Amino acid sequence: MSRPRRVAITGIGVGGPWGSDADALFTRLLAGESAVALHERDEDHLAISIPAVHWSGFDPLAELGTHISTLDRSGQLGLVAARRAWAQSGLARTEGPDPRGAVYWGTALAGTLTFERGYREMYVNGRRRVPPLSLLLGMNNTAASHIAIEFGMAGACLTYTIACAAAATAIGEGFRRVREGRSDVVIAGGSDSPMSLGVVRAWEALRVLAPAEPHGAAAACRPFASDRAGLVLGEGGAALILEDWDHARARGATILAELTGYGCSSDAEHLVRPSARGQVEAMRQALADGGMTPADVDYVNAHGTATPEGDPIEIDAIGQVFGAAANTLPVSATKSMHGHMMGATGALEAIICVQALRQGRIPPTAHLETVDPACEGVLHVRGGALERPLRACLSNAFAFGGSNAVLAFRRAED
Amino acid sequence: MNSLDLIRDFAKNHGNIAPETVVPEATLADIGIDSLMLLELLFDFEEKTGITLPKDLPNPTTVQDLVTQLDRLGLQPTSGS
Repeated sequence: MSRPRRVAITGIGVGGPWGSDADALFTRLLAGESAVALHERDEDHLAISIPAVHWSGFDPLAELGTHISTLDRSGQLGLVAARRAWAQSGLARTEGPDPRGAVYWGTALAGTLTFERGYREMYVNGRRRVPPLSLLLGMNNTAASHIAIEFGMAGACLTYTIACAAAATAIGEGFRRVREGRSDVVIAGGSDSPMSLGVVRAWEALRVLAPAEPHGAAAACRPFASDRAGLVLGEGGAALILEDWDHARARGATILAELTGYGCSSDAEHLVRPSARGQVEAMRQALADGGMTPADVDYVNAHGTATPEGDPIEIDAIGQVFGAAANTLPVSATKSMHGHMMGATGALEAIICVQALRQGRIPPTAHLETVDPACEGVLHVRGGALERPLRACLSNAFAFGGSNAVLAFRRAED
Repeated sequence: MNSLDLIRDFAKNHGNIAPETVVPEATLADIGIDSLMLLELLFDFEEKTGITLPKDLPNPTTVQDLVTQLDRLGLQPTSGS
């Protein structure tokens, strides 16, 4: 019997307002720096003004050239992230299509900007037609397809649309593909640009968006805090290169971290009220899948969206998995600084876990001044980064609809 | 705006394609205008001119093919490049 394959992470890339690479992102997170700002649009009768993460300096034409006609903003952010991850991996594109390569991607609302633009032209502006590539721009699988074309990934090109757990699920499923020996390389991640006017209105109608006041837009997302008031939307792309460990070693690649386990579960209870039971199940699966015990874990990057109802349930679930050790287990919710990037968020938080393992530093939950008593029971990283050697960590992603995905990472060691 | 200028303008704004590479003898594929970009370009042409293109427009291969088609449909003829 051959030994189980291991899965290396050899590249990480982000597309968003954090600079050109994942190191710049992590530096800002360690410093507690929020990318959230007031995002305002005023079109006809549909003015919006919400705290959000928006890459206002993004120049798609300069960044991507010819691709801007066949990718909408969401896909553009994804392609930027994939290119950056690929560049870091040092992989060379094969001459032709590579049947040993694959793309596993996540998105929640890929085409929302494109479709809204089309509807607006017809229903508001009285036009009878829409731009000819609207359908291609708006498809959920367009970003993944572009990435597959660009890097010759011919083994599979799959897109998961599981709301906030989309990218984490995509990474987990891609991880399985490599571990099963069906691919040597998988580009995994996600992208979303969800701030269309209609979608913002829909979020507002659910009453879960954090207001800008009284703390100001940058500090509006306050996970685990007694004064938390909801989530903050964000846009962006995030990508990881998952590679067979031996394949990476054979070509002399730098291995950033190891992806060791993946758990997924379904609450099967309620569309929006999360279930600790389902979350516990996903975390336990991820640990077992990675051959790990709770005692191996030195950090949990929480889903932590800052909704009044969701945060305590996640802390409860962590408590059930880690028992008494939860009291000294470092936990942080980085959405306080990068917002909730919907289908991309699991990939961005996976990258944060990789960076934490590499540097031995945990970014804080920003703006966490007073912990809600209902969220006590873990070691909240707050007031600054926590520096300590890290062996392993978990990344949680829990979606509306009740889908849960948890990824387990280890520091890169032969 | 003549046809060649319209194509150059589109290529620059939609594909970051240097205008000096958009010359009559160049093939559209070589300068980076594929079939999807061509659809966008023709849509752009209709928007700017108000002219509705016939559905059976033959597929152009070179920049000159496209210039000829657009000139025929009513843009100012292109005189040289």
